[in-house]
Amino acid sequence: MDARRKYNISFDVLDLKSFKRSAPNHGWAYIIFILKDGTTYPALHFHNGGSKALLKELENFIHIRRSPNDPRLFLVKDHDPEQLSQSINELSLFTDSSGAYVQKFIKSPYTTTLGGFSKVTNFLRDVLMTPEDHHNLVRPQAEVAEILQDDIPGMEISQLDEPGFEMITKTKLPPRPTVKREDPLSSQQWNSFFDNEGHINRVEELKDIIFRGGVDPSIRSEVWKFLLGFYDWDSCSRKRQEQRKRKVDEYFRMKLQWKTISAEQERRFTLLKERRGLIDKDVMRTDRTHKFFAGDKNPNLQVLYDILMTYCMYNFDLGYVQGMSDILSPILVVMENEVDAFWCFAGAMERVCHNFEMDQNGMKVQLSQIHKLMQVQDPELCAYLEAHDSGNFYFCFRWILIVFKREFHFHEIQRLWEVIWTDRPCTNFHLIISLAILESEKSTLLENRFGFTEILKHINDISLSIPLEETLRKAEGIFLQLRDFKKLPNSIKEILGLLPSSDLPASQSMENSMFMGSSLTSSSSSSHQEAGSKVDTPTLMAGGGASASRGLSHSGSGGDLTKAGGAACSTNVARSVGVSARYGGGARQANGSGGGNGGAAGGMDDTHKVFT
Amino acid sequence: MASRKKVLLKVIILGDSGVGKTSLMNQYVAKKFSNQYKATIGADFLTKEVMVDDRLVTMQIWDTAGQERFQSLGVAFYRGADGCVLVFDVTMPNTFRSLDSWRDEFLIQASPRDPENFPFVVIGNKIDLENRAVSARRAQGWCHSKGDIPYFETSAKEAINVEQAFQAVAKNAMAQETDVELCSEFPDPIKLSGDNNKPRDSNCPC
Repeated sequence: MDARRKYNISFDVLDLKSFKRSAPNHGWAYIIFILKDGTTYPALHFHNGGSKALLKELENFIHIRRSPNDPRLFLVKDHDPEQLSQSINELSLFTDSSGAYVQKFIKSPYTTTLGGFSKVTNFLRDVLMTPEDHHNLVRPQAEVAEILQDDIPGMEISQLDEPGFEMITKTKLPPRPTVKREDPLSSQQWNSFFDNEGHINRVEELKDIIFRGGVDPSIRSEVWKFLLGFYDWDSCSRKRQEQRKRKVDEYFRMKLQWKTISAEQERRFTLLKERRGLIDKDVMRTDRTHKFFAGDKNPNLQVLYDILMTYCMYNFDLGYVQGMSDILSPILVVMENEVDAFWCFAGAMERVCHNFEMDQNGMKVQLSQIHKLMQVQDPELCAYLEAHDSGNFYFCFRWILIVFKREFHFHEIQRLWEVIWTDRPCTNFHLIISLAILESEKSTLLENRFGFTEILKHINDISLSIPLEETLRKAEGIFLQLRDFKKLPNSIKEILGLLPSSDLPASQSMENSMFMGSSLTSSSSSSHQEAGSKVDTPTLMAGGGASASRGLSHSGSGGDLTKAGGAACSTNVARSVGVSARYGGGARQANGSGGGNGGAAGGMDDTHKVFT
Repeated sequence: MASRKKVLLKVIILGDSGVGKTSLMNQYVAKKFSNQYKATIGADFLTKEVMVDDRLVTMQIWDTAGQERFQSLGVAFYRGADGCVLVFDVTMPNTFRSLDSWRDEFLIQASPRDPENFPFVVIGNKIDLENRAVSARRAQGWCHSKGDIPYFETSAKEAINVEQAFQAVAKNAMAQETDVELCSEFPDPIKLSGDNNKPRDSNCPC
């Protein structure tokens, strides 16, 4: 964010829609101002007091009331002429996925209770039309009657909201457990996981620690190499040395490929030329405020460029797409080495390459998965967003495309990513993180009656002010609630990887599997199984259900991914690979020889860096 | 009650990646330039109040990602656009050649009621750079062939002509807006007296 904007807040008081105050006794007081168009300013801190005086002054011009739902949120009272037209807009709901029942509801004359009404229709739509039904909307009459009569899971009839009208408000999830976050994995702890040969013992336990607290920055560059598939989890030091040597050779071979294309050749190679142009532009505008990339002629810009160009050779089908430089930048800063950064980047891309495909299907699927999750997790917010043209969750696009890279500060994004890369506590945890952030913004969105543009603006503007640890705690809590919800629909279980693989219908598992974040070296999973040694896996939150092996391919070409350390990330969804009931049964991977807890820091042997 | 309702004009900026869409928007709205803007991901907008023909107008200016594959999602933001600014970089001929497809795509997706007369403006940006590769004549030729789209040469960096270009699109969009208002089939839902300058306790018409 631009520094000037940060310290220079100026707006017309009449544009003020609401503001958020800091929690009392929480350090310096601050106020976050939110305007009618959704513009949300960075927190204005009052180091020497004065926030109350300012608000008092403001009250001379506007009427302020406190939100009944969020004690920190204050709303500027106005008689909001747009309100009526907004509620009329709510009537034109569901144009894209309308079903017969919904249409009837919408056309019903009882349109006076618009607010509650949209909730009812949404709720019923959720219940009557599971996502698979969208194409085939008609249910047998008897079935509908049955659903309506007795068993709508979690339906609660509340008579509080509006006298005279019954409101069906929410599905009831189990209470949210409190979740603790811990300290990051320390260097000493890390070393204690290695035996004399440099095998890592108790990999699952190690991942649990990383999930719960991240990694100390001093060992990040080593730990990430495992998380991102540069090294196999079950390798010994000697094998890692070989792996590394091979990867260095392979990198420079690919780098040479584009380096040796002459300008003359390139004139007849439009595709490469275009990619070079894009990379050129984006390298110049990637995290230039970070000291690692700051300043003109910073040599690290060249490294960024070279890695992205080489990635084009590594995965020519995908090439370069905007956003990739955002993925690479934190990795390069941690690795400080071209080759290591390249391979770790390739590993990170393996998890998100579907975000960047030409048809954008990967993005569409994930945005709709957030929608499905929210229908269960927070039907009220979900109904609101749908009623305000935001049911497509486009406002989460940037979050998902580059895995929150622009939403958090640099050191935070490194923490968040290493947590996500543990694949805990479930598949697609990043989608639940989205739910957690949205939950925190819920009262702001609802009580300000934000519409499509304001929602988008507000969500864009909270970038860099989202509290990371709190969000992670909340997200894990939401996951636990969903996992323990007895009537959790299978479609949701599938998104979260909570279904045993045998229950997965092949067609749907495809869609789902693309976000599994399958490990870079899926081939290694077979060796895990051969090793066959038993591991005691801490049951952090085993979700029940049998385990399934990773790297289960669904189509003939599915095996492609397992070659060459998961080399080419396919651009075809159908080719994606890897269904596992991650976290399902626990006994998924066997690692090393088990038991031994040799303190040798074998894994650190090969830390010599190759600077180029 | 005179029709004095607040006018909101939605303007979309389109063009290839790196032609300066974000910079133009920020120069116009906030009068500032930075060469540290990041590549736009998704979409964002800024609003600015301007006077157009003695009417106070709120311009909502939308900035979208330039890379082609993001268009399929970008179209969600085209809906309801009142004007469109097509941008190319005068030092990059390929960004000029893309204008055709940007314009076509916009017209297909936004499907305005009168595509022939939809208020476009074309901006040739980065005239502060020396290695110019698209001549003004060539650009004007294209604009002429597309129904005399107004053409502006700008530098977002040095704030040359930016104001004029956006003012033009606002003016043309307002002209259309007024036409539409006259033949509008829908009655204005709510009429407001303009000057809402003072807080009122309870003035709710219901």
